[in-house]
Amino acid sequence: MGYRSSVEILTEWDIVAARQLGRNEAKEVGFGTVDQARITTAISELARNIYLYAGKGKIEIERISEGGSYGIIIIASDEGPGIPDVRKVMEDGFSTSGGLGAGMPGVKRLMDDFKIDTVLGEGTVIKATKWIR
Amino acid sequence: MVKGFISGEIDAFTAPVLREKLATVQGKEGLQAELDMSDVSYMDSTGLGVIVAFFKNINANNGHVKLTGLSPRLKRLFDITGLGEIMDIETDDKGGN
Amino acid sequence: MPQEIGRQYKEILRQYVMRQTEQNLYAGQNFSRQLIQKNIAPEDVISIHKAALEEMFPELPMNVWHSFDLLIEMMIRYGLAHAEHQSLIQQQEEMKVEMDLAANVQRTLLKTTVPELSGLEIGLVSVPARKMNGDYIYFLSDNLVNAGVAVADVIGKGIPAALCMSMIKYGMDSLQDATSDPEKVLDIINRIVEKSVDDDMFISMFYGRYNVEKSIFTYASAGHEPALFFNAKKDEFSELHAKGLLLGVVPNVIYKQHEVKMEIGDFVVMMTDGVTECRTDEGFIEQEFIASLIHSLRHENAQTIVDSVFKELEKMQNFELRDDFTLVIFKKTS
Repeated sequence: MGYRSSVEILTEWDIVAARQLGRNEAKEVGFGTVDQARITTAISELARNIYLYAGKGKIEIERISEGGSYGIIIIASDEGPGIPDVRKVMEDGFSTSGGLGAGMPGVKRLMDDFKIDTVLGEGTVIKATKWIR
Repeated sequence: MVKGFISGEIDAFTAPVLREKLATVQGKEGLQAELDMSDVSYMDSTGLGVIVAFFKNINANNGHVKLTGLSPRLKRLFDITGLGEIMDIETDDKGGN
Repeated sequence: MPQEIGRQYKEILRQYVMRQTEQNLYAGQNFSRQLIQKNIAPEDVISIHKAALEEMFPELPMNVWHSFDLLIEMMIRYGLAHAEHQSLIQQQEEMKVEMDLAANVQRTLLKTTVPELSGLEIGLVSVPARKMNGDYIYFLSDNLVNAGVAVADVIGKGIPAALCMSMIKYGMDSLQDATSDPEKVLDIINRIVEKSVDDDMFISMFYGRYNVEKSIFTYASAGHEPALFFNAKKDEFSELHAKGLLLGVVPNVIYKQHEVKMEIGDFVVMMTDGVTECRTDEGFIEQEFIASLIHSLRHENAQTIVDSVFKELEKMQNFELRDDFTLVIFKKTS
C-alpha cells in the first residue's frame, strides 16, 4: 500500500477539489502534462458519477510502484444504489448519447486498468490505474 | 371509458410512440377504449401490429376496443387482414372520399 | 516512435514558420493522416506541437505555454469521442459481417424448390428490401398432380421477420402432403404461429393449390392481399377474394377456401405487398397499374412475366425497394 489521500464528494465543487488532488499527485509522481490531464479527466468523470447517482462518496488517490515503474490508482467509492447492468454502462455510446460525458468507457480508455465492483443497494467501488510509460 | 385520438402517419418510426401511449391505459380490468382514427393519413403493418396488440391486451382484461373514423384506405386494410371481422370498427362517413 | 513523430513534426512546423506556402500546409495535412493511422490522440498532437515550439522558440512568454495546457485539457474529450467513434465503427463492421452470415443462413434455411408439372408454368421472384427477407414462399407439391404454394408476409422487415419465418417453414414442413386443403393449411399454421409470437407480431399468408387433372385452383387467405386472376378468354383480371384473419391473432379461426377453374392461358398472380404498401401519397404504385403491366406481358411465360414486372417496378422506384418484393404466377399452359 502506497501513500493515499482522499476527497469527499458531496457537492459539485468537490469535483474540482478531487481534480486538484489528482493533478497534484500525478505531477508529483512524475506524469507528463497530457497524462495529468487524462488522469484529471478520469477523476472528473468518476466524481461526477458519484455526485449525480450516489449523492455522496469519495475519491482516493494512491501512489503505487512496482519493479521500477510508478503510477497512480484512483479509487472512487460510494454507498449509492449500485449499478444494475455493468455491461451496459461499459458499452460505447451508452452514456455519451445521454449527454453524460465520456462515461465509464472513457475512463477505461484514459487509464491503463479499470475495475468495477458494485452491489445493488450497497454501493460501488471503481479502481482505475495508470502507469508512467 | 378512455378515448384516444390518433393523427398523422403510423409507420415503423412513429409506431413505438403510439405503443407507449397505449401502454399507459393497458392492463386495467374491463376498460372501454375508443380510438378515433379520423386523422390518420397512413398506417403500415407495424402500426397495425400496435393496434392488434392493444386489442388483444384489452380483450384479455375483459375490456372492449372500438375504432372510429376509419378512412376508406384504412377500412380496406382492416377488411383484407380480417381484423374488421373481429374488431369493433366504425368508418368515417362524413367525407366519403 | 513518439520521438520520431516529434522530430518529423518539428521539421514540418519549422518549414511552415519559415515559408507559409500551400505546399508546406499540404505536408502538414498528409502528416496528420499518418498520426490518425497511428492512433495518436488530439491531446498528444497538441503536446507534440508545444514541445516543438519550446525547442524552436524557448523565449516565448510563460502565458503562451500555459495556454497550451488549457488546450490539452480541452482536447482530452475530443480524443475520447474519437476513440469511441472508432470503436463503434468497428462494432458496426462486425454486425455487418454477422448480418451477411445470417442472411446466408436464411437463404439456405428457406430454400424451396419450384415444382415442375406438365401443363403448369410457375414464375417466382422474391427480393428482400434489406439483407433479410420478410417475405416467404413455400412450395408443396407431388410434382405430378398438385402444386401448392404458400405466400407469406411477416409484419415488419429484417431480423425479427426472418426469425419468425423459420416457424412457418417448420409448420409447412410438417404437412408433407400436397393434397392438403388450403383452409386446413392455414388453420394449422395459425395454431403454430399464435402460440409462438408476441402480441404485436403477425403474418399474412395466402395458400393456393393447383390440381393439374381437374384444372382447378383452390385457395384460402389469412389476411393477405387478394390474388389476381387473369381470364384469357374474357381478357380481364379479377381479384380472388377470400376472407380470413391474419395468422397469430387468435387461436381458433375458421378459414374458408374457394375455387376457380382455369383454362389454357389463364393465370393467377400472388404477391406480398398487401398490408405493408397501402401508401397513399406520391410514389406509390396502384394495383391497377400492376395489372395493366402484367396484361401487356400475358403471352409471355410465367417466369418472364414476374421478372419483367419486377424490373419495371424496380426502375419506377429508382432501384430502392421500400419493402420486400415477392411475386408468384401460376399459369395454365395445356
